[in-house]
Amino acid sequence: MNERNDVTAEDEFAEKAKQLFDESVDGLDGETLSRLNRSRHAALAELDKGRAAWIRWAPATGVAAAAVMAVIVWTGVPGVDDLSAPAVVTDMEILLTEDSLEMLEDLEFYSWIEFSEDTDEALEPANNVG
Amino acid sequence: MNACVASFAVSCNAEDRTGVNTLQSEAKLNRFLADVEKRALRIAEINIRDRDEALDLVQDAMIKLARNYADRPASEWTPLFYRILQNRIRDWQRRQAVRNRVMVWFGKGNEDQDYDPVAAAPDLAGRAPDEELQTREAMQNLEAAIAELPARQREAFMLRMFEGLDVAGTAVAMGCGEGSVKTHYSRAVHSLRETLGEHWQ
Repeated sequence: MNERNDVTAEDEFAEKAKQLFDESVDGLDGETLSRLNRSRHAALAELDKGRAAWIRWAPATGVAAAAVMAVIVWTGVPGVDDLSAPAVVTDMEILLTEDSLEMLEDLEFYSWIEFSEDTDEALEPANNVG
Repeated sequence: MNACVASFAVSCNAEDRTGVNTLQSEAKLNRFLADVEKRALRIAEINIRDRDEALDLVQDAMIKLARNYADRPASEWTPLFYRILQNRIRDWQRRQAVRNRVMVWFGKGNEDQDYDPVAAAPDLAGRAPDEELQTREAMQNLEAAIAELPARQREAFMLRMFEGLDVAGTAVAMGCGEGSVKTHYSRAVHSLRETLGEHWQ
């Protein structure tokens, strides 16, 4: 019974304390409220500062990223042999022309001519001696 | 070229979305601070018994919350804000204690005595004079009794009773365990009831 009374008295105390506090909050004067308002806006300005720094760099970052992408697209992926693709195309063109096919048929003849020219050039200085 | 334009467009869209989100979170933080600022001021004022200093401490706490914790979930703001404010109050009280010791050594009085609770009392408009006087006296007595509590009991009592934080939130704000909060709060209520007596109620 005493315990129940004690709890009730404690609740009444808490209720009165809370009520007095709330009234004191509601009764704050205009000057104080104005200062609180200014303080709040000063705090919110901190958010704007952080955002301003991010926004200031965002367009530059976007343009830089776009430029890097463009360079990669236009120049190809670094590390790939740049000459390999055109070289393959050139070889295919040579192989597919009719002249080249005829040349392949006479390959032994052209080899003999090249060999004989080399031999003549090698012997010429010896022949001129004397 | 298309890749360049597409990349820039993606960047701009992300920026727009982020801008909208930032404005929403700014509005949310504004509402939170507007809701909490008056109670926070009174809690700080009861602690340090100086309204101007209390206003400065509340502003510091607001700025620190906005600067460091604005991106945290809004549900965490209240205990975080009061943790910052309680730390500011403790720092202020430590500095004041040192200052008072120095002042006493130089033969000067305690400036805390300059605090005039009547001048700082709220303006309770629309009441009969005797009722207003009773209310002011009751609040002054309560504030005086709270000021006599040990620091941790005072913190627990005001956060639980005046701000309405639950035990877990109070524990975060005070930087201690929930068991300690319960103990400090219970002792504070017991002590205040004894100090103020039955007539106060």
